[in-house]
Amino acid sequence: MAIHEKTLIDPARLMTTDSLVVDGVDVSGHWNTMILPRYLTDYDDDFYKIIAAMPGGENVHRCWQCGSCTNSCTMYAQNTDFNPRYWIYLTNLGLKDEIIKDKDIIWTCVSCNKCTNICPKDVRPEGVMKALSHWMEEQGITPKASSSIFDEEFLDQVYETGRMEDGRIVYNFFKKTGQSLTQDWLVEVMKRMIKYMPVSFLMHMGLHLVFKPRTKKWERTQQVLREYVREQKAAAHTPQPKGVVHA
Amino acid sequence: MQNTVLVVGAGPAGLAAAAGVAGAGMNVVLVEKEDRLGGTPILSGYAKLVPSGEWAKDAMGRMIKRVEDVRGATIHKGAKVTKLDGEAGRFIATISNGKTVECGAVILATGFTHFDSINKPEWGFGTFEDVVTTTQVEQMVVAGKIACPSDGRVPDRVAILLCVGSRDRQIGREWCSKICCTVSTNLAMEIKELSPQTDVFIYYMDIRTFGLYEDRFYWKSQEEFKTKFVKARIAEVTKSPDGRLLVKGEDTLVKRPIVIPMDLVVHAIGMDPNEDNPEIAKVFGIALEKHGFIERAEHYTNTCGTTRRGIYAVGAALGPETIDDSISQGQAAAMRAVNDLHALVQKIA
Repeated sequence: MAIHEKTLIDPARLMTTDSLVVDGVDVSGHWNTMILPRYLTDYDDDFYKIIAAMPGGENVHRCWQCGSCTNSCTMYAQNTDFNPRYWIYLTNLGLKDEIIKDKDIIWTCVSCNKCTNICPKDVRPEGVMKALSHWMEEQGITPKASSSIFDEEFLDQVYETGRMEDGRIVYNFFKKTGQSLTQDWLVEVMKRMIKYMPVSFLMHMGLHLVFKPRTKKWERTQQVLREYVREQKAAAHTPQPKGVVHA
Repeated sequence: MQNTVLVVGAGPAGLAAAAGVAGAGMNVVLVEKEDRLGGTPILSGYAKLVPSGEWAKDAMGRMIKRVEDVRGATIHKGAKVTKLDGEAGRFIATISNGKTVECGAVILATGFTHFDSINKPEWGFGTFEDVVTTTQVEQMVVAGKIACPSDGRVPDRVAILLCVGSRDRQIGREWCSKICCTVSTNLAMEIKELSPQTDVFIYYMDIRTFGLYEDRFYWKSQEEFKTKFVKARIAEVTKSPDGRLLVKGEDTLVKRPIVIPMDLVVHAIGMDPNEDNPEIAKVFGIALEKHGFIERAEHYTNTCGTTRRGIYAVGAALGPETIDDSISQGQAAAMRAVNDLHALVQKIA
């Protein structure tokens, strides 16, 4: 039978094959529509530990679902799908798929911190929103934020040369984020730099852009720095081992 | 006769009442139907008591010793009161061991009966070995090992279902058993202490860890021991082909049905009226309230009174009660009984 009220069903759960013949009977199109069950069949018990290990997410497990955060939320007033209380619950139970459904709105948190101020259990929901956004970005569920791209470019240059060149960072950042280098305001900035800056300084910059000078004996420091950053990242992203009780 | 009080039941409330009467210089006769003193915490093998955290056998042991050592206490174990004649100030009680007791007042500390989970068959107790009650988990904690009864494995996941035999019109239990939330959050912590790799989920309608139990049990269990609280009243417990249990219900916060695998399912069983209450009501000539607990008199000036003068009731005999409050009520009823007997003596003199 054709399903008339498809609007009531999550589109992801509707399965239809365009052409299908079963036992000689043509059941193409809506005649073969199947609806996947809406049961939640498991929790990811350790997911909250991943979020709790990220800055801002430390207290996520404290939530008792009073809804103060959602009620005070600036974004909720704009869009009732923006529901921090709900995402915190999903995080604690490890219902990742449900969180991912809201990937396009979680990051829109404006960090007004009204939720964090009002939370009776000190969950710090604003931090949880940040942690969730970062987690989704890291997992490639949402595209990289411009700020992350900038940070990476900056760090890469430091790793490589032990220093950073303003011009090169801006150039690469604009390139990676798909922004035009011939935007009016940018062209104007360049013009004025050429016009007003000392020639020696401009030559200096130009030489550095071309030759990418490195800090002397940088190799050893580079290794140590890379290792240190790697360790710090690993520490920040490693959930506590299963079973370890920590206050 | 007017300086003797009969106490029925030797649980926390009865032991406190007996010690209270004897401590006030009167005689007390304590009648216990089982052959051990200590009541449910001992008979059901409770582990650590809420909220003190003391082992039941230690805490109850001290209460028992206090009564055994006090002057003026006579104890009848394995005995019941079968008949009570007379009136306030001059009762004559017949005990099943053939003795009779003349007493001026009676304190009923007859306690409760645990809800029998067989009466909620859809939650799997009696059908699946790995569905147990909070009482059984208490016993596991005493034994020092949390294990699935079916094969002895340590559970990866434990689900504690709240309000089993409480707040349920379907089975005629329209009361909150008051202490199961606190006991369950405490058990969740004890499970985690014994088995750190186990994740504990508490399925709830409301969490009622009243008063000072809020942060000491609910918050601590959630914040330090990472107990997960899921707002769902489980509809059914079944078994999956791999032998694990499946809890089915609606997660009311996600607004979706759930079918979640668990290794051990624990029923947080409530407090029923003592199954002997109809008999007790008949023997002592008192009324029961609509749920089947002993009916209270007006409480403001007739504290711990029942519908019959000279007969007092305390603890879980009156409705679901905590151990600590049962003890306080035992002590209060002792005071009240002694007060009333003094008044009678003065009136006669």
